Amino acid sequence: MEKLLNELSSQSNPSYEVKCDIENDCFIPKHLKRKSDLGLPSVAENDLLRHFTNLSRMNYALSTTFYPLGSCTMKYNPLINERIAKHEAFNSIHPYQPAETMQGVLEIMHCLERDLCEISGMDYFSLQPAAGAHGEFAGLLIIAAHFKSLKQKRTKIIVPDSAHGTNPASAAFAGFEIVPLKSEPDGSLSAQKVKEILTPETAAIMLTVPNTLGVFEKEIAEIAKVAHENGTLLYYDGANLNALMGFARPGDLGFDVMHINLHKTFSTPHGGGGPGSGPVGVKSFLEQFLPVPRVEKKNDKYVLDYKKTKSIGCVKSFFGNFPVILRAYAYVKALGGKGLKNASAQAVLNANYMLAKFKDKITVPAGSRCMHEFVLSPKAALGNGVRTLDAAKRLLDYGYYAPTVYFPLIVEEAIMIEPTETESKETLDKFIETLNKIILEESADEPQRVKDSPLNTPVARLNEVEAARNPILKWK
Amino acid sequence: MDYTPQNKQDKQKMFDALGIKSEEDLFDAIPADLRVKPLNVSGGQTEQELLEHFKTLAAKNKTLVSFRGAGIYDHYIPSLVGEITSRSEFWTAYTPYQAEASQGTLQAIFEYQSMICALTGMDVSNASLYDGASAVAEAALLALRVSGKKKVLVSSALNPEYIKTLKTYLQNFNAKIVLLNLSSNGTIERATVDASLDDDTAAVIIQSPNYFGIVENMQDLSAVAKEKNALFAAVVNPISLAVFQSPGEYGADIAVGEGQPLGIPLSAGGATFGFMSVRKGLEWKMPGRIVGQTIDKNNKRGFVLTLQSREQHIRREKATSNICTNASLNALAACVYMSGWGNDGFKNLAETNVSKAVYAFGKIKNIDGFKAKFENSVFFNEFVIETIKDVKKINKTLIKNGILGPVDLSNCGKQFKNCLLFCVTEQRTKNEIDKLVEILVKI
Repeated sequence: MEKLLNELSSQSNPSYEVKCDIENDCFIPKHLKRKSDLGLPSVAENDLLRHFTNLSRMNYALSTTFYPLGSCTMKYNPLINERIAKHEAFNSIHPYQPAETMQGVLEIMHCLERDLCEISGMDYFSLQPAAGAHGEFAGLLIIAAHFKSLKQKRTKIIVPDSAHGTNPASAAFAGFEIVPLKSEPDGSLSAQKVKEILTPETAAIMLTVPNTLGVFEKEIAEIAKVAHENGTLLYYDGANLNALMGFARPGDLGFDVMHINLHKTFSTPHGGGGPGSGPVGVKSFLEQFLPVPRVEKKNDKYVLDYKKTKSIGCVKSFFGNFPVILRAYAYVKALGGKGLKNASAQAVLNANYMLAKFKDKITVPAGSRCMHEFVLSPKAALGNGVRTLDAAKRLLDYGYYAPTVYFPLIVEEAIMIEPTETESKETLDKFIETLNKIILEESADEPQRVKDSPLNTPVARLNEVEAARNPILKWK
Repeated sequence: MDYTPQNKQDKQKMFDALGIKSEEDLFDAIPADLRVKPLNVSGGQTEQELLEHFKTLAAKNKTLVSFRGAGIYDHYIPSLVGEITSRSEFWTAYTPYQAEASQGTLQAIFEYQSMICALTGMDVSNASLYDGASAVAEAALLALRVSGKKKVLVSSALNPEYIKTLKTYLQNFNAKIVLLNLSSNGTIERATVDASLDDDTAAVIIQSPNYFGIVENMQDLSAVAKEKNALFAAVVNPISLAVFQSPGEYGADIAVGEGQPLGIPLSAGGATFGFMSVRKGLEWKMPGRIVGQTIDKNNKRGFVLTLQSREQHIRREKATSNICTNASLNALAACVYMSGWGNDGFKNLAETNVSKAVYAFGKIKNIDGFKAKFENSVFFNEFVIETIKDVKKINKTLIKNGILGPVDLSNCGKQFKNCLLFCVTEQRTKNEIDKLVEILVKI
């Protein structure tokens, strides 16, 4: 167990110091002055380095193990991108510098926007949103602004029950009412059912393709048709774009608005939960509503345009998460069109290979073919009251991070696996063998051991119920 | 370079296992008419080529000596911060869903939350939001949600980016934003707040130091909000809290702000992070991840994501926010940053900012053609100077000398015509300040 910072010596000399080369009194009027103790620890640099290094070693990470987290696209984060992102001339730029002193920043943003358009089939992107859900929110505000400009009162968004939780949350956040849509047993949607619930008030349908069960939406063209005939727009959740690059483009499938998670498909690191980047893309008829500022090219110079009267405004300060944008652009320049297509091809190959090794033993709700990820339902295969959660925790004992579990919600005891294209056959084989062993053998032969897992992690199974019942949310 | 590992032999084995001839067969589900022609995206660069390419792009940016803040500040970042955030166990991990395999990230966030609470004097902090602007918007939404009221009073001296973002967030929400006028002293007066407060006011949102650098009398403003049962939301600069009253001390309900000063590079304005802390009782209404301490099966201390029934992956459209990915790695940077100063060191850092800014203020306002906009104001590291000189020429001349000069405030209304917002952090040396003054004298 690693001590908390406030349990480490508070008597030692601190790590950092600053010297002031100006001698004048720092006078602060009494009524504005802080009176209470700051309560910060004082830890020497050597001890602090050990503390945080020790903490880091308690993490499973992509750099230490296979991380088959479905829906999260934990692909290799190229080191060259980190090296580039550390360049002083990128990270010491103030956002209010005159445009002519940050042409490099603006050029990268402009070029990535053009590349994302080509990859996705959209016409314009704003790189401002800071994460996928933030991009969804911006996209939905754009949809609302569009109908407002048409003077149409459309207040409803259709969200399938298989959708990511952020979809309904973002739609509600943008002021819409949610109309749930029941998916078919394989997770797909029926165009007929979509048609039946469309009303003149339906603003948009939010979809992800392939869907969260990893299946290409076979009726997508028909769904787009019935939606558009109703004046309803189609929103694409870009979380699953890693399956499609170079094969199909959301823009060609009929989507009007979308976001892309640069921290998924475009290899930027997840950082333990951000910062990410969720560019929002639109077809040209919606361009006027995109967030400001927009990066534009005028006479071979890049400029920032803040004056877009119909814009939804800005969803955060400044231009977007530039260091993430920079890494994504470096990734695109490493792969190019051909490499991107190969990445999707390998991602789909890896997922199908794994699925083939599971499908005869463990229930697969969505059939024997998938795109970049797939979902298992091991309910029947697990014996003796062993649950998916137990199997997931047991995987940690074997050194693997666990797949996404209990999502999508429509599959019982779901295990959602996304290997990505950057894993070798050898890695996949070993993981397949381990998960099959846990589900088929260990749950039958030593169920208690599985229920007691994990046994080899820095801490044993943690009590989440207790954490929520008696919240301890800071040092005592 | 596409970072895929499979060689030909392995691929063939995988094809055989699947009974296919090539990967293309796996894409049969996509109808032919929906297939795309080859992507016209340049690339295929080797690592060496990438390095060269981005060196060329970097050369198109100019690194300047900065006297500009306005929401993004040039503070020194100790080496330890970069060392820790560069540990791949941190930067290549995901959101810590599997707690037992994510104790590093979880404990670090718990420590971060503890220090944010210590600085702000509040009870509960979340694990970070996107940035200061979105944190302000989330604070407004929190207040509207808790109170069921329909109005928020907002300081007109709130950072303009935050005001714009707040307006965007609330545009389809049945709620009204009322901007509070600035007094001639550059502050929000108690009477101004009082006059706009009514029973339908969910929150009063005040920034201090405000956009013009001035420290507000938060104690007074908080008290008047309380009288009408409105929540008081303080938007604060975290480093300034080492010397100025904390939100906890003046009874704020919500404290939010931009976390960038705490060890995050300028990076063209982002990625940064936003922080949010609240008084006890509001934690179940808070947006974002929260880490809590618990015990494992063997009674050993450990950490987990908690109060999760607020969040989108459980609550879907009824969640307190749609936020999922936040700014965890930057919160980690802030954690490392905050833990290395000790109380006296952190106070000294804040005082150094004040001292240097006061020194520069005294020099600049005495230059011919320049004067203090708010003569007797109390400020942290930013201040406003009014000039009769050509503002554009000033900044052009400074840029030529490698200096990023003050922000031109002419967009902030008539009151700020010919006004300049200077920022002086601990990073600026006496020599640099003197050089700035020397150039201004000559204009």
